[in-house]
Amino acid sequence: MRHSVITIVGILVLSLVLGACASQTASEPAQPADAAAEAQEPAAAVEEPAVVEEQVSGPLTVLCGPQEDWCQAMTAAFQDQTGIETSYVRLSSGEAVARMEAEADAPTFDVWWGGPSDGQVEAFTKGLIEPYIPANAALIPENLKDEASGWTGIYVGALGFCSNQDVLDELGVEAPTSWDDLLNPKLQGNIAIADSRTSGTAYTSLYTLVLLRGEDGAFDYLKQLDSNIFQYTKSGSAPGTMAASGEVAVAIIFSHDCVKFREETGANLVVSFPAEGTGYEIGAEALIKNAPNPAAAKVWMDWALTPEAQAVAATVKSYQVPTNPETIVPAEAISLSQVNLVDYDSIAAGEAKSALIERYAEEVREGAAAPES
Amino acid sequence: MSEFIALRLREFRRLTQDGWLSLGFLVSILFLAFFIIFPLGKILSVSLSSEAVPVYQRLIAGRATWQVILNTLKMGLGTAFAGTLVGFLFAFVQVKLDVPLKKFFHLISLLPIISPPFAVSMSVIVLFGRSGLITKDLLGLRYDIYGLDGLILVLTISFFPVAYLTLLGMMRALDPSLEEAATSLGAGKWRVFRTVILPMLVPGIASSFLLLFVEALADLANPLLIGGNYTVLASRIYMSIIGEYDLNAGAVLSLILLVPTLLIYFIQHYWVSRHSYVSITGKPAGYSRPLQSKWVKWTLFTVCLLIAALIVLIYGFIFVGAIVKVWGINYELTLEHFRFVLLGYGSKAMTDTTLLSAIATPIASLMGILIAYLVVRRKFIGRNLVDFTSVLGLAVPGTVVGIGFILAFNKPILGGLVPKLTGTALIIILAYVVRSIPASVRSGVAAIYQFDPAMEEASSSLGASSATTFQRITMPLVRPAFLTGLIYSFTRSITSLSAIIFLVTPQWRIMTTQILNEAETGRFGNAAAYCVVLIAIVLTSIGLMYAVVGSTTGAERMIDI
Repeated sequence: MRHSVITIVGILVLSLVLGACASQTASEPAQPADAAAEAQEPAAAVEEPAVVEEQVSGPLTVLCGPQEDWCQAMTAAFQDQTGIETSYVRLSSGEAVARMEAEADAPTFDVWWGGPSDGQVEAFTKGLIEPYIPANAALIPENLKDEASGWTGIYVGALGFCSNQDVLDELGVEAPTSWDDLLNPKLQGNIAIADSRTSGTAYTSLYTLVLLRGEDGAFDYLKQLDSNIFQYTKSGSAPGTMAASGEVAVAIIFSHDCVKFREETGANLVVSFPAEGTGYEIGAEALIKNAPNPAAAKVWMDWALTPEAQAVAATVKSYQVPTNPETIVPAEAISLSQVNLVDYDSIAAGEAKSALIERYAEEVREGAAAPES
Repeated sequence: MSEFIALRLREFRRLTQDGWLSLGFLVSILFLAFFIIFPLGKILSVSLSSEAVPVYQRLIAGRATWQVILNTLKMGLGTAFAGTLVGFLFAFVQVKLDVPLKKFFHLISLLPIISPPFAVSMSVIVLFGRSGLITKDLLGLRYDIYGLDGLILVLTISFFPVAYLTLLGMMRALDPSLEEAATSLGAGKWRVFRTVILPMLVPGIASSFLLLFVEALADLANPLLIGGNYTVLASRIYMSIIGEYDLNAGAVLSLILLVPTLLIYFIQHYWVSRHSYVSITGKPAGYSRPLQSKWVKWTLFTVCLLIAALIVLIYGFIFVGAIVKVWGINYELTLEHFRFVLLGYGSKAMTDTTLLSAIATPIASLMGILIAYLVVRRKFIGRNLVDFTSVLGLAVPGTVVGIGFILAFNKPILGGLVPKLTGTALIIILAYVVRSIPASVRSGVAAIYQFDPAMEEASSSLGASSATTFQRITMPLVRPAFLTGLIYSFTRSITSLSAIIFLVTPQWRIMTTQILNEAETGRFGNAAAYCVVLIAIVLTSIGLMYAVVGSTTGAERMIDI
């Protein structure tokens, strides 16, 4: 059953790509290296949509939001399949928007892949996104994409608490099951979270709190929480490594990152969720306005929605829930239905982002320099 | 007056008669003007322009800015104090004590010079962090290494060699007869040390202190990794550029960092180093008698041994980090990290970085020697300026060089004659060269001062052209200095982070920034493997350069510049 579905999807993708390529003018000559690679694997080449993509050439530069190893695996897989020379830079959401804004006239990047869609929405409101919806995005559920602001979801995952059980035991604290549990004085200096200015993960937590407590309530809470925070990190997942190594007891990160760190390190990490509700991210991809190589970017975006591309995640222990219903969901993934979610509207979250971040910088971080690591 | 001008003009004309040599001079001087003066000027003009006014307002209003400046000063002073103390101790033990393991101590104190950034910080976090192998598992403490104390510890270990080498040279050059005179007049050992030796070393101590202060201020890697929430200027600048992508703020903060750094550097360079009591008479003045007091001797030896052991532990632990599964958590052996660096994703970083450094190295060394020759042997208008400028590349913090490069070269200049350089590999090479030239110049100047111009004059009067003389007489004589320049440039380039972090492109992977990526996301194993490979590349290259260029100098003199 599954097999035939994949075949159908494959054919569908193939025809879409064929159509896309046919509409392109003066195709570039196939690179000799690709021709050679094709000659070596003629059987595999027949079904692969990659064959026709030779007409699009590199280099492609991806602004990559998730963790380094996933970025590496994705770019390598894409380059293998298409022959398009691909490189990436990993940037957190806030950094990404700042960078794109600064180089709006001559962007370095072609496509923004990964990271909570709030960031892509914010970039869109700033005129930094060229809406492009891959044709195969039809497969993606309606609530996981937005045609108007030009992004398509590639994975989803819920925000959670990632605790090191050994440290919790030492401190005599249970794994937190509500946002208020984090205010426990015993956890002083034992919680890590990223800085919302740079990290999309941390912004997801900020907006979740806004939904739960109203804007003023959220900032009151974050100011109280501040005394328990050991370090505000730059990237969203970094607090998880601190929990894994026992530097802190609790990290506020996406639950899938916690599972990843547990699998990778063997540390005694436990995932828990706030009972009153938690937020989630839709990891999104979007085409960057004035991209130097939009053709290759579109090939990437189409490819990134295919089950085989989405399956790359699990090979590097990134257990987000893939958006394409045809992608095999890894057993380790935490499905959103298991968790009590707030009604998180990532369009509204993205539109509110700039203003909320400004208030966050002033009130919570008191003009402190944003963090470095 | 007109006579003066005529004289100067004649000198200038003489310069142009040097054949291809004058071309070399011209290229070197243009290089300094274009890649050192111009970017710094750009920082000045941006940070003093009207666009920067809101940035100043914001910075002055922000309570955190003053905190950052205060943090930076505390870190600088702490490192300068501790580093000078350790450097002094090591130099003193080396020169004045008759104890075993002196060669070992010497080698240990050279180790941090070739070490990549982050190495010490990572190791210290895993060893002494909250869940550190020593602090937690051995001593049962939950010690918080992130912050000022951790920073001073790692910076002291990273930079004390500067103090050590400065003081070592100075102590060796002290005239022992003064000491003997004091002793024969009946002064005790402590009194001799306090009233004779120490005063003579004051310039060296001051110079080490100031140099360490500047080095600490300029360092980026360690504050990024072990600073925690303790922000200093260098890391604040990094945040402005990488996190906020605000070039104006970057330029303003650079200026704030640049002014004290330059001031102190030039106080050190022009004032302290001139007030030296070291006199080289050339006559053997007897030898310094080793310190006799057993109690003092073995106490100092023990302290030295403990510090050396700490350094060995820290560096040795990096190798451990590279071959275990999860450094600090899971000590199962694995080759995964080395596979990642040598065969996997990291292999491109390895070849790219080595290639770019290898291109920059000979350029920097050759220009360094040419500039040194120009400064020492030729008289012309602006000679002091050339001398001054050539030192700037070292005195200016790397982050500032990086921002200057972005501001200066992020669009075509000179009417398109020079294309946009940012985003290319060329700009990385240029940054490497700018950072490496000063050391080459300094070793060149020292070497050229040492031999008598009569040799070159003889060559000239026998009818050789300037170019021939330079090639046949000068070059062979300065070869050891040239080698020093090569080794220093290569090491400096391949381990540099702060100058190129804003310049790296997705297409060219640089090992030091890859180490940052890996360490920042907690993958210390890969980062450690990168560090080990980097150290291996540096050591191999030094060996290779010896084989190719050849040298009669000892291994210790090569780094002792």
